[in-house]
Amino acid sequence: MRITCPCCGERALDEFAYYGDASVKRPDIASPTAMADFVAYSFDRVNAAGPHRELWYHSAGCHLWLVVTRNVANHEILNVEPARDVARATQQLPTPGRGSA
Amino acid sequence: MANPTLAAKSAFLGVQSLKHPAFTIEDLSSLTIASITSAKGKSAEVKAAIQTAYGVALPDTPLRVTGNGIAFIWHGPDQWMAIADRGTNNRDIEVELKPVLEGKAAVVDQGDGRAVVRVSGTHVRDVLAKGFAIDLHPSAFKTNSVAITHAAHIGCIIWQIDAAPTYEIAMFRSFADSFMDWLTHSAAEYTGRH
Ligand SMILES: [Zn+2]
Repeated sequence: MRITCPCCGERALDEFAYYGDASVKRPDIASPTAMADFVAYSFDRVNAAGPHRELWYHSAGCHLWLVVTRNVANHEILNVEPARDVARATQQLPTPGRGSA
Repeated sequence: MANPTLAAKSAFLGVQSLKHPAFTIEDLSSLTIASITSAKGKSAEVKAAIQTAYGVALPDTPLRVTGNGIAFIWHGPDQWMAIADRGTNNRDIEVELKPVLEGKAAVVDQGDGRAVVRVSGTHVRDVLAKGFAIDLHPSAFKTNSVAITHAAHIGCIIWQIDAAPTYEIAMFRSFADSFMDWLTHSAAEYTGRH
């Protein structure tokens, strides 16, 4: 399996570290339903045999966090996005006024 | 107490140079190196400051740019490494860059953190191909191309400085000797030297 990093280009799997499901969002620990929320966050998975959004880290390369859409049935990589772009698009990160990124 | 005299020493403990038409190694232990990491949202200001001070445009892609006696190597998003020769005046790139990038970026000396080696020769690509799992063919990797990757399990930054081709490779200093072992063994079939 090879992943095409948006910064570095196509690289072998051994340059990347897998972190986990990119479709879940860490619950608020102060919420009154925190226990149930964290159980769902940690253990409830659809586990569909098809495209899955997952977090990968380019640990031996540019050190960018990535959201990789991978078909778990055949390992086809369908999309790779910088995680910070995904987080900004979903309002989890402020968009700084900047020239790059 | 007497003032101790600090002298730069090579990080490569065994082989420090090798001259063979097939493969040449040169230890670059006279470099001053600093990392530049943009503060959040300030990469445009960093680029403007470097453009003003050195007349070069910092790249957003894996490239090396060179100015008057200095090179900037892409080192990840919004990060670069500045490299220059210490020369006879003991140039210190960290001291030089800090006022230029004050409030815009973190500038940290890497001169005691990184070791850099220069390699060339008719079989240089064959030697590097034994450890670098990236495409160094001229159609994919050219003069001023940069890659952050690993070779022989050692994290490396590699860039090409001319079309000969000549490459420079930076690694964490404590891995230098191990890297050189791998390099000389990989080259042995072309140089006849172990
Ligand atoms: Zn990368």
